[in-house]
Amino acid sequence: MSRAKPLSQMLGLGLALVAALAASGCKLVDTDNKAAAQGGPPAGGPPPPPPYQMRAKIEAGDRLHTSVTGADLFSHRCGACHLTWGMGTNLLTAQQVAAGKTPDKGLLANRDDLTADYVKSVVRMGKGAMPRQTRVDVTDSELDKIAAYLGKGK
Amino acid sequence: MQLTLPPGLSPQAFDAAVKALQGAVGAGWVMTTDEDRDAYADIYAPGPETLWGASGAVAPQTVEEIQAIVRIANEHKLPLWTVSRGKNLGYGTAAPRMPGCMVLDLGRMDKIIELDPELGYCVLEPGVGFIDLYERIQQDKLPLMMSVPGNGWGSVLGNALEHGIGYTPYGLNAKNLCGLEVVLGTGDLVRTGIGAMEKNQAWNLFPFGYGPTWDLMFSQSNFGIVTKAGMWLMPEPETSLELNLDIPKAEDIGWVVDTLTPLKLHGIIDQSIFIPSWLGKMVILGQRQDFWDKPSAIPEWRVQELLKEHKLGYWKVQIRLYGDETVNKAKAEIVKAAFKKHIDTPMQEVWWRRGDPTNVMDLTLGVPSAVPLQMGNWVGGKAAHMGFSPVVPATGKHVLDQMTRSRKIIDAHDVDFYASFTIGGRFCNNVNMLMYDRDKPEQVEGIKKLFNALIADAAANGYAEYRTHLGWMDAISDTFNFNDHALRRMNEKVKDVLDPNGILSPGKQGIWPTAYAAQRGKNLA
Repeated sequence: MSRAKPLSQMLGLGLALVAALAASGCKLVDTDNKAAAQGGPPAGGPPPPPPYQMRAKIEAGDRLHTSVTGADLFSHRCGACHLTWGMGTNLLTAQQVAAGKTPDKGLLANRDDLTADYVKSVVRMGKGAMPRQTRVDVTDSELDKIAAYLGKGK
Repeated sequence: MQLTLPPGLSPQAFDAAVKALQGAVGAGWVMTTDEDRDAYADIYAPGPETLWGASGAVAPQTVEEIQAIVRIANEHKLPLWTVSRGKNLGYGTAAPRMPGCMVLDLGRMDKIIELDPELGYCVLEPGVGFIDLYERIQQDKLPLMMSVPGNGWGSVLGNALEHGIGYTPYGLNAKNLCGLEVVLGTGDLVRTGIGAMEKNQAWNLFPFGYGPTWDLMFSQSNFGIVTKAGMWLMPEPETSLELNLDIPKAEDIGWVVDTLTPLKLHGIIDQSIFIPSWLGKMVILGQRQDFWDKPSAIPEWRVQELLKEHKLGYWKVQIRLYGDETVNKAKAEIVKAAFKKHIDTPMQEVWWRRGDPTNVMDLTLGVPSAVPLQMGNWVGGKAAHMGFSPVVPATGKHVLDQMTRSRKIIDAHDVDFYASFTIGGRFCNNVNMLMYDRDKPEQVEGIKKLFNALIADAAANGYAEYRTHLGWMDAISDTFNFNDHALRRMNEKVKDVLDPNGILSPGKQGIWPTAYAAQRGKNLA
């Protein structure tokens, strides 16, 4: 993907989204993009996509009876798509903005309207571009923790 | 999804097999509910998911557990379908070719056994994903760069074994495999190459064996279950220079390929060069209905309007050079001079130097991402895609010939033309994305008809598919027809010897064991 056409520009979300995502509490490994300074887009143009966001490290242990926290499990098991600039975050950000919400609500961890049952249903049944997750992808024990973590809407 | 039993197995016999599997891996890792069967179905299935429905899944964590599963499968005549992580999107996901197979999900085998920055290689289990390996390399700050495909969610070994492609100098992922450990259908455990010697020090470094070299016989194959493999990794370059250029017209692809191939063969460009068409850039801009609100294919006049509106060329050439700065500068001058003969537009240059951050979308710098899958959103609904991907010689003549014929067929079926070419050496992979909404049966039927027409036309002109979806595995196998399908006959003889009960992935790539030969040609798309 070219830096000349970063995804934010393509999505028509621009700087607001990038700023919102960066301010949303996600741990970015490095936000100082030297590459941009050395021949990237001209000053004033949209910034390049942010650096890759690392997932939380987890010890697998007994996955059928996990002792890992919901936050770390969410980061690790769902992070391929649901951290900053993940596929799921990009699609959900567009949906949330279209629904009049702020772009930071594209990150599931920032949502306050999810319920644990809804999270479980989407994970197992899929939704839109999201495939159904197997019990090897996420065990029932892990999903309980993740759903409790995301289900702030009770 | 309801339970579909494997051919010839009664419900009682299936139940006995499941109980035995539970004894081998623990009840929690044998998954046979309706919900489990749904989770292992092909979410992009061009037709009903039940055509390729699994009876369940079993997930071992060790080689010994795999051997136990294979023993049980032989005893109970329970066919298995092996997946590494089951993320083979567009080709069947985790679903089996033959309905009723038990998916052997190796996702729990996710150990990075070795990771050597000095000689640039790793030894992995099949459950290790691109993201897992990438994060480990970053955490340990190792000077290594991965070759990642469009879907970074999948397995490193699974992708290489399926002949997946990446976009760095190590882009032919199957060629990076070196030394495999494999459980055969008999339950025997073998190591290929010089790994056949106990405790050999170089089995993941030397690409041959003493005698015949078998590594790739286990790729796109049902001859065994790969339990670990060596994989070469590129040393991280000092610098990298990206050269970007928009190419205005569709027919320009001829001179573009004739310009790039000699540069590739002479070692000026090392990478596998990806040349996407404009639609590859548009699909993550929004949804198709935002740009063309009719079900018919986007007409040429609208294509031209969109190119202008979004300042796109018909093709995007993105070349990346890897190595020392002085060498990259010199190579860039050669590349620029070659393009200047055809086009005045200067190339946009973007430098990266070791230690600079890479962004989340830098696939050509080895950063894994699932964002390219976002293209599914283009058609909306229950969006899915397949690829028609003939391999063509990397000359303008062949590329134009293939493109002209396939475009004519795609136009005749009133489908959007969405092509890309990846120059991997002396050949191009010409991937044509076929996107459809699974909620619209007429669209699914249309895509199937189109796919069949494209396969027949390509084969008639001497071009083959490099990979395909479950529903066309037999059809593509039929196109490999030299000497009355002599290679398939050889493969099936080997299959019967190594796996006498035919329990490993029957029908994979059109290779049917005698035990399930009656299933050939059934459950096609």
